[in-house]
Amino acid sequence: MSTQLTTLLAVFLFPGGLFALVLGLSLKGLDRRVAARLQGRIGPPLAQPFFDLVKLGFKRTMVPATASQPVFLGAPLVGVVSMLVAVALVPVSGLYSPDPMLGNLIVLLYLLMVPAIVLMIAGSASTSPYGALGFSREMTLMLAYEAPIVLAVLAVALRTGMGQGGVITFSLTDIIAYQRSHGMFLLDPVMWPALAAFALFFPANLGIIPFDIPEAETEVLEGPLLEYSGPALGLFKVMSALKAVVVLSLGIALFMPLPFDGIWGLVGWLVQLAVLMEIGVTVVRLSMGRMRIDQAFGFFLKWPLLLAIASVVTVTIVA
Amino acid sequence: MTTLDLMSLAWMGAIFLLCGEIGALLSLRNPVRVFIVSTIAEIGYVLIGLGIGGAAGETGAYMHVTYQLVMRGLVLISGWYLIRRTASIWLTDLAGSGQRMPLAATLFGFGMFSVMGLSPFKGSYSKFLILYAAIEQGQWAIAAVGTIASIVAAVYYLILIQRICFEKSEHRVKLQPAPSLAMPLAILLAVVAAVISVFPAPVEQMAAGLAGYASLEGLPEFESPWALLVLVPYIGAFAIYGVGRVSARLRDLAAVALAIASVAMVALDTGLDPTSKLFALLFSGIIAVMVIYSVGYMAKEEWANRYYFFTFLMLGSMLGLTTAHEFGNFYVYWELMTWTSYFLVIHEQTQKALKAGLVYFVMCAGGAYLMHYGMLVAHAEIGSFEFTALAQGFGSIAPLAGLVIVTAVFLGFAVKAGMVPFHAWLPLAHPQAPSSVSGPLSGILTKAGLFGIVKILFGVFGVSAVARATGNGIDLHTVLIALGCITLLYGEIRALFEKELKRMLAFSTLAQVGEITAILGLGTALATDAALLHVLNHAVMKTLLFYAAGAFIMRTGLRQISDLAGLGKKMPFTAGVYALGSVALMGLPPFSGFISKFLMIYAAAQAGQYAVATVLLLGGIIGVVYYTRVIGVLFYHPSAAAISEVKEAPVTMRLAMGILAAAIVFGGLLPTYQLGLIMPIGDQLAASAGLAPAVLPDLVMQWPLSAGLVMVGAIVVLLLGRFSVAWAGRLAVLTLLLAVAAVLAQPDRYDTLSFCFALLIAGVGALNMLHTTAYLAHSHAQPRFYFAFLVMIAGLLGMTAATDLFNFFAFWELMSAWALWAAIVHEETAVARREGFKYFLFNTIGASLLFLGVTMVAAQSGTFLLAALGDALATLPAATIAPAIVLVFLGMVMKAAQLPIRIDYQMHPAAAPTPVSGYISAVLLKSGPWGVLKLFVAFGGATVFAKLGGTVAGQPVLLYAISIIAGITIVYAGVMAVIQNSIKMVLIYSTVSQLGYVLLALSLGTTLGVAGGLLHFVNHMLLKDTLFLVAGAIMVNSHATMLDELGGLGRKMPLTFGLFLFSGLSLAGVPPLNGFSSKWMIFEASFQSGHWLLGAMAMIGSLFTLAAVLKFAHAAFMGTPNPRSESAREAPVAMLIPMGVLSLGSLALGLFPGLALVPIAAIMSDLGMTPIAATLTGPLPGLDGWSPMLLSVLVLVFGLILLPWLRLGRKAGVVRSNAHVCGVGDLSDGQTRLGANSLFETPDKAIHGLLPKGIGSGTQA
Repeated sequence: MSTQLTTLLAVFLFPGGLFALVLGLSLKGLDRRVAARLQGRIGPPLAQPFFDLVKLGFKRTMVPATASQPVFLGAPLVGVVSMLVAVALVPVSGLYSPDPMLGNLIVLLYLLMVPAIVLMIAGSASTSPYGALGFSREMTLMLAYEAPIVLAVLAVALRTGMGQGGVITFSLTDIIAYQRSHGMFLLDPVMWPALAAFALFFPANLGIIPFDIPEAETEVLEGPLLEYSGPALGLFKVMSALKAVVVLSLGIALFMPLPFDGIWGLVGWLVQLAVLMEIGVTVVRLSMGRMRIDQAFGFFLKWPLLLAIASVVTVTIVA
Repeated sequence: MTTLDLMSLAWMGAIFLLCGEIGALLSLRNPVRVFIVSTIAEIGYVLIGLGIGGAAGETGAYMHVTYQLVMRGLVLISGWYLIRRTASIWLTDLAGSGQRMPLAATLFGFGMFSVMGLSPFKGSYSKFLILYAAIEQGQWAIAAVGTIASIVAAVYYLILIQRICFEKSEHRVKLQPAPSLAMPLAILLAVVAAVISVFPAPVEQMAAGLAGYASLEGLPEFESPWALLVLVPYIGAFAIYGVGRVSARLRDLAAVALAIASVAMVALDTGLDPTSKLFALLFSGIIAVMVIYSVGYMAKEEWANRYYFFTFLMLGSMLGLTTAHEFGNFYVYWELMTWTSYFLVIHEQTQKALKAGLVYFVMCAGGAYLMHYGMLVAHAEIGSFEFTALAQGFGSIAPLAGLVIVTAVFLGFAVKAGMVPFHAWLPLAHPQAPSSVSGPLSGILTKAGLFGIVKILFGVFGVSAVARATGNGIDLHTVLIALGCITLLYGEIRALFEKELKRMLAFSTLAQVGEITAILGLGTALATDAALLHVLNHAVMKTLLFYAAGAFIMRTGLRQISDLAGLGKKMPFTAGVYALGSVALMGLPPFSGFISKFLMIYAAAQAGQYAVATVLLLGGIIGVVYYTRVIGVLFYHPSAAAISEVKEAPVTMRLAMGILAAAIVFGGLLPTYQLGLIMPIGDQLAASAGLAPAVLPDLVMQWPLSAGLVMVGAIVVLLLGRFSVAWAGRLAVLTLLLAVAAVLAQPDRYDTLSFCFALLIAGVGALNMLHTTAYLAHSHAQPRFYFAFLVMIAGLLGMTAATDLFNFFAFWELMSAWALWAAIVHEETAVARREGFKYFLFNTIGASLLFLGVTMVAAQSGTFLLAALGDALATLPAATIAPAIVLVFLGMVMKAAQLPIRIDYQMHPAAAPTPVSGYISAVLLKSGPWGVLKLFVAFGGATVFAKLGGTVAGQPVLLYAISIIAGITIVYAGVMAVIQNSIKMVLIYSTVSQLGYVLLALSLGTTLGVAGGLLHFVNHMLLKDTLFLVAGAIMVNSHATMLDELGGLGRKMPLTFGLFLFSGLSLAGVPPLNGFSSKWMIFEASFQSGHWLLGAMAMIGSLFTLAAVLKFAHAAFMGTPNPRSESAREAPVAMLIPMGVLSLGSLALGLFPGLALVPIAAIMSDLGMTPIAATLTGPLPGLDGWSPMLLSVLVLVFGLILLPWLRLGRKAGVVRSNAHVCGVGDLSDGQTRLGANSLFETPDKAIHGLLPKGIGSGTQA
């Protein structure tokens, strides 16, 4: 197979594209199911997110009277597309290395901002005051968590680069390869601060409790999503599902790529995803309360930032 | 009697004289007593003469008796007549006699001046002889006492003359009859006095006979026959006075003819040495303009005849100075010059004018007496007054005598030039004189003092001889530099606080004289050339300013600066040339003042006197403040009611000002002619002092076709605008389109980098100009704005084509100084003026650093050519060149507003018309990064820079510092952008942040860095310009300046909104758009260069841009609609076209970065760097190069696949519903809006908490 064809397949079918879509929705289903069990409920079937999606697809599209329709409806579309592309940028250890032409870790980090951007635009374009509040909170949160995540990723890149002879690298493939030969960063104490920063980042990025402040149902009625319905809302659900896959896969690639190849690599990766989803998402969101936006803002500029700085410093010192 | 006894007689006489004069001074209230005491005092002179003895002494004594008898007889008779008719001997009663009895008072005044030794018929010869005799005999002290007595006498004589002859009478006096014989007798005596003054020989013969000497042998020749150059205006003065009594019209014609004839005579004269020729041309030229101006100015003046009379006498005596070849004549002309100009100063005969005249006369005459003393000492030592003899003999003179001579002569010159502390007369006299006189007074009379220094001290005595004579610890050069700098600063500071226009100009003259003096003091041939060029230029500029001020005063009767508000609209020509003169005097191109200022700073740098250059630049910065203030008042203040009926100045005055303005422009564009006159002087000086002759850079600005075209277009647009604003706008756009063609037509004028930049300058300029025509459609004074905008662009185009440092800096100044200011303050609001001025001042400071740096680099390397600089600098030690290079780069960094301290002072202000804000942000400020790259290479690249303090991790220290500055600025300015609430401040701060990216990348110096920086250079240009043009479209629609005044425009202006969102998100770095591509390269380059911290800062910085862009989008286009936006309409086509074209450019670069990277690769190989590997359609280069196009295609395909899903629900239809507000129905849109100022509440609070107080209040509209 030519590389172009491989890339196309990877992007559209596996591990990106269709596969990622199914994977993302399944993980959502798993999350809901496990959450219900933990709360003593039976919960929906695993396929419930798929059912929801189909239902939404055939609903009427509602657009606020004062909204700018192309932007209002275009936002979720852009969001889903960005995540579909992003999935293809994350390598899976022993299974998939993306074509460098698709982009490296820096491109991925910026693509990861797109869902938040479209949510903000959606909230603003809806002309709803709750949407605007959601926008405000989302931006505030982003301003707080961006510096820690950039520094945490930098620490990984520095560690890999220095291990490889001094040239810093933002190629995830290289980062995985380095860990496969030197052991995963999860087990490397030098990288623990970076890992901690990343662990604090991802619930905020995924918008789950305690950092679901922009979409807090009980406060701002889901904020940016309030005015959405039908297929457009469905797209947002898909976007959020895909984003979970991207962020969790990124975390795996950065800190804990498994040393298996082929089918075992795939299985290992899926298990990792599922476990992380349960521990990192489901358990966390059930066991905590929501922070206020100013608390979250202060929190991120305190602990994760300190941790990230510490990680960069330790990495430099150790090298 | 023994010799000793005789000497004691002489001493007795001297003491008698001094006591007598002081006694007379103390008796001022009673003119009779003054006359008696002063007559007795004169006996002292006779005693000195007799006591000194010898042919000169005794002949002088007898001559003095004869002169005094005749002249005092005249005073006695006319004075007695006045007293008799007034019936009082008290000065208070006699005051104002000139009005009551003009003839008698004139005769009295004539007599008094004659007694003092001054009149149009030359001075009294006898005092010369006596003082000469004293000095010849070695009795310097006696001569000194005599000189002091003369100065004391001058005071009371002049007070008497002023009060009796010129003062306006306060009370009516009934005149008594007097004998009819008195007047004829007085006239007779006056004629005799005139004759013996003009022809002293017979009297001298007679006196010699009385003293017992048969012949005149042994007596000195004091004077030589007057040259034709003097006699023509001199005799002409009398003729014109006569004509004037018949017909005023005829007199005016004759005066103009005579003045022009004088200029022609000077021009054709071949007998003058270069210094004299230069000054003669200057003197006669300015007087000719003065006469033309006076035709209008003096039209209704009562005393016009007298005015012209003294004007031509003054011209004659000034030309006399230049023709003099010996000290006798020189002194006579000097005194006559003071005397005639005194009459011009007091012409209006007000109390203030008389007081000013008194101070002027006494100080200048006193200085002249000192000079006289020095000349006599020189004669005693060398035995001749002839300049040639002095030049030969001065070298071997005794040091003490030399010191006395130089000091005395210098003091005479210093007073005339107005150097601090001998300046007291200048700020009094210049404003009080009629404006037609103030100009030449500042322009050429002060220059006579400088002429003296150059001609006598430098030329006749010789630089080296003067140095030897003054070698006892005092060096003339040091004195000149010190006095010059003090005078400069004093003048500038006083002018800064002055509220009256003419006084401000007078103080500015002080400053300029100081500037010239300091440069003269450098003593090199180059410095002399520079100073003399400024002598010429300042004469023209300052005369023009005084003449424009005179026209204002004549038409309005108002003298305070604040009274002139809005006068520019009533007197466009006069105010226009005033502005032109001011700009020239600020030393800005393309005017003559810039050329001489450049040469002066260069001369200082070349002489290694950086302190002098710094003082000059500091003075220049102060000058900018007060000169700009007046232009601002004239043009950019609302006009006052008092001037509503004011008309433009009369045509002859406009003609005079027009000539001067033309001279300023000519001197700026083609200084070759003036330099041709001046260079022989410097060379002569160098030859005589054994110095190297001056090597002048080519000071002719090299206009590429494009810049020339735009400049001409600017002027035509300005003129055309008087007839049709619409066509002026179209022509402005067309001019810039032609400029694009002109750049393409002359590719060899530019290196590849500059060629590409020039294309963007002209191309984006055309787009912004098109937008401007719509933006200003309902504004005011559009042609003025188009003009300023075009001049700015002409400067930019010229700058890109520069091949030497002079052109680089000249066009840099053209781009970033007055035109920029005029464009920024166009709106005429208080905020626009304040902020525009702040920015202008900051730019001036930055340009001053650059100025010093550029001249230092040129002086050290010995070449101005950019192509030759690298090799020249490479051979010099690092410590020598480091300060210059640091200054240059500091200037560049300041241009790009990069210093991370008080960026609010460094940024271009928001109050400017928006299309020009966009242009400044997008294009003009890029001159900073462009300059950094261009000069980095020109100065010798990494090899030279590595020497300056070594390298950090392979990067030269200077560039390392720039990287850090840029990195901090990215974040700092980015954060500041987030907290802004004004429509434009958000964009402006974001510009600073983005320029940080460009500068960071360029300063890395690696292949990837430079390529990324240049790509971002272009991307930011396209993106930020679009954003500004969108802002302009919004603002003209809504008249809003703050974001919160907008809201919900997205539905009304969908195209505009779309373009904004695209450009904004691209700028914020959303992949795969073009703004992200270039940033990605910059991140990669930073990390690869080891700047991982800066790289991280750059990555985080783009988040702030995102926040700012989204805030803008929310507040303006989305969110709950603002009722104020209900009437908004989509932007007009003239705005949509530029915005669309720019966005298309961004889109294309987003898909195919190669479109820019391929030319960038060419630029890099042209600059001698390793070019980036790029293909037109290929991916981005780099370690792991990604393809934005691939990503774009994927996005498009996924989008198309998903689109049907979105349309799935359409079967059920799209429902437009009201937004959910939990059922609350009584809240207005205003109450539910989340405004810009509360959008980012938490981060805002945190950021404000981190900032120092006073920054980031966000109040600047």
